[in-house]
Amino acid sequence: MKSQNIAADSEARSARNLRNARVHNRLQAFLPLIGLLIIVAAFAGLTDGQIVTMRSVRLILSQVYPLMIASTGVFMVMTLGSLDFSQGSILGISSIVISWLSFYSIPLAIVGGILTGAAIGLMNGFFHVSFRIPSFIVTICTMYLFRGLCAYLTTDAPVAAMPSITALNQDWIKLAITAGVLLAAFLVFRFTRIGIDLKAIGAGELAARYSGVRTDLVKVLAFVAAGAITGIAAFVNVVKVGSITSTAGNQFETQILIALVLGGLPISGGAKVRFSNIIIGTLISLILNNGLVMIGLDTAMQQLIKGVIFLAVVALTIDRKSLKVIK
Amino acid sequence: MAQPILIAENVDKSFGITHAVKHVSLQFERGEIRGLIGENGSGKSTFCSMLCGIYHSDGGRFMLNGKEIRAHNQVDANRAGVSIIVQEMGTLSGLTVAENIFLGNEDRFIRLGVKNTPAMNREAQRLLDEYGFGHIKASLMIDHFHFEDRKLVEIVKATYFKPQVLIVDETTTALSQYGRDELYKIMNATRADNRTVIFISHDLNEVLQHTDHISVLRDGELIDTIPSQSATEDELKRLMVGRELGSRYYRTDYPDETKPLDMVLSVRGVSVPGQLQDVSFDLHRGEILGVGGLSECGMHELGKAVFGASYDRKGSVTLADGTAIRSIPDAIRHSIGYASKDRDNESIIVNDSICDNIVLPSANDLAENGVLMQRKLNRFAGEHADHMSVKMTGIGQFVSDLSGGNKQKVVVARWLGKASDILVLDSPTRGIDVKVKADIYSLMAELRAAGKSILMISEEIQELLGMCDRILIMKDGKINAEFIRSRELGEEDIIAKML
Repeated sequence: MKSQNIAADSEARSARNLRNARVHNRLQAFLPLIGLLIIVAAFAGLTDGQIVTMRSVRLILSQVYPLMIASTGVFMVMTLGSLDFSQGSILGISSIVISWLSFYSIPLAIVGGILTGAAIGLMNGFFHVSFRIPSFIVTICTMYLFRGLCAYLTTDAPVAAMPSITALNQDWIKLAITAGVLLAAFLVFRFTRIGIDLKAIGAGELAARYSGVRTDLVKVLAFVAAGAITGIAAFVNVVKVGSITSTAGNQFETQILIALVLGGLPISGGAKVRFSNIIIGTLISLILNNGLVMIGLDTAMQQLIKGVIFLAVVALTIDRKSLKVIK
Repeated sequence: MAQPILIAENVDKSFGITHAVKHVSLQFERGEIRGLIGENGSGKSTFCSMLCGIYHSDGGRFMLNGKEIRAHNQVDANRAGVSIIVQEMGTLSGLTVAENIFLGNEDRFIRLGVKNTPAMNREAQRLLDEYGFGHIKASLMIDHFHFEDRKLVEIVKATYFKPQVLIVDETTTALSQYGRDELYKIMNATRADNRTVIFISHDLNEVLQHTDHISVLRDGELIDTIPSQSATEDELKRLMVGRELGSRYYRTDYPDETKPLDMVLSVRGVSVPGQLQDVSFDLHRGEILGVGGLSECGMHELGKAVFGASYDRKGSVTLADGTAIRSIPDAIRHSIGYASKDRDNESIIVNDSICDNIVLPSANDLAENGVLMQRKLNRFAGEHADHMSVKMTGIGQFVSDLSGGNKQKVVVARWLGKASDILVLDSPTRGIDVKVKADIYSLMAELRAAGKSILMISEEIQELLGMCDRILIMKDGKINAEFIRSRELGEEDIIAKML
């Protein structure tokens, strides 16, 4: 009798546990989306609906493009379990190259910007893979290196692009570029082996190597892609601002990192990443930025709140089981 | 009758959806060696981990000498009188032998906040000498010693303070015969001292030989406790699995050696600095070729070298048609599969789905013009996981949730999916329960009959004798002997060439 009770009890318990695990998984998948809705609702309340007016939406959208484009590239790097801090400097240097070349031809400028970003990405990937230096150290070095170069190139005056380039500063063009980048990256991530390879390396590099993944090659490619894609973001940036100062892209890398993490991307990368992390993450981060400005907080307070939220999200979402070290 | 030394009352534990230990009540007598057996995932390790404070139980309690023990970590447990020697490496690198032995108990060597290192080393050396492990120097870094010596250090660490209950968890698989004999001595001495040993092992023969009673767990429940003297291996297997296992376990056929075989893989002059020296052999179609030796003899590196995974390999590995294998992608493209001894790090991506794991090596074949369709991948992975009867909730489940045996099934599934003609299996049944073991053996026999070739690297001599057409024995990075399958071949012949 007693043992029957125990058996029934344990069965009920394991059924309950299974249900809980399922609910937990589903909840985790939707958590970023829920976060986005909460943040919109919260700021709508705090700003008396100002944040959902057409004007604010357009303001936020105008900031979305470069961030969402560049996040798409860094998404691949972070899936590997790596980090890339050089994005801001890449944006700066690529913007300068695009500005120079814009006097010859616009397509040439775009290609030049992409190649510049790819070259810096290649440098990141090469030092990371060949010398086995953790990526965050390599990219912090390249961040300073190219920030310095950026400052040198803009010592006398900002680098101006061909003035007529700002005619391209139209929402439909920028939207098309952003959508194009997202779509291309999504197709590659979902329908080629690169997606599986990236996740496998993030989840367990050694085992991935033993499964036939060309780990070194894939890692270098991810950094090159991240650089190249930020080259595209740089074009959108140049179109918008017209001339490049030494601070172009300053702190862009942290914006990307924060956006992706707020979007639910596990900081250890691996198989739990979702492509939607990019879109939801950039939206959350920009609404947060703009919302904090709108409710009239000063810059110091804004940064403080952002820091607290970032830390809380990482602490809540980090996958302690698979986090060994950031590569 | 005397009061039992240890009583477990209604001990219970769940991990997420898995109910690992279900209300187990057990008594351990003073002065006995108790075997604790069960398939993988039957709850024996979880049970012991709760006893030594590695996990906390969800319910129930442990009474040691009539007093409840609630250990929060292993040092706590040691102080309460319970100690454990585990399967995996339990020493910390970067510390000396002495520091490892006294880890968590350094207080006795500390005066005014300063550690008296010479005294600690002296005491550790005295213990090592007393155990007969005088060849290990207490003041040296643990990293100077190979796996087996480190295991011996661990044994000293776990037993020097004369614990009331000593748990030996699956330790012997990591030890050579010498180490095992030393361990048995210590177990017997503990019993003679009227203290108690809980002995966990998958090697049933060993359990029968060295225990007084055997408790069998299945799916987290206690099935029975029986005296070892009257028990047989078949009876234990039946209790563990819950049904009669067929008589087929190893192969029973002994083919004529005269039949000529086609060579499929040729290894010539392979060397890896510090690991392998000028190793050459051929692997044939429809052959199971065994490689054995002590764990440090280089046989594990040999598997990697054949798979193209060694750094700094010299010599050649070529297929019958002369294709050279130089890298892992080379090997996979030419139908060579590999299962590593280090399953969780090298064979399988633990934090990834079963689907991705099975699909990875075959990804290029499944792509049409470089495009992979998820539905096709799911079908492929599902088919092969089902074929291996992997116990899972679905192919999206993460491998980290699976037991050792099921992980190994996923590993095999991926290489069968790749239609590998040559399988390099390093310790394929390591830490795997009887039932999955039997599955893997019968699968190997099937593959062999289908004309596939298997290179099986194993530390278990019985397995080599039972399954292989030919056995290579390695010593110090070189092939020391070759045996052909025969009924007359015995363990002693093999051991003689290993040492």
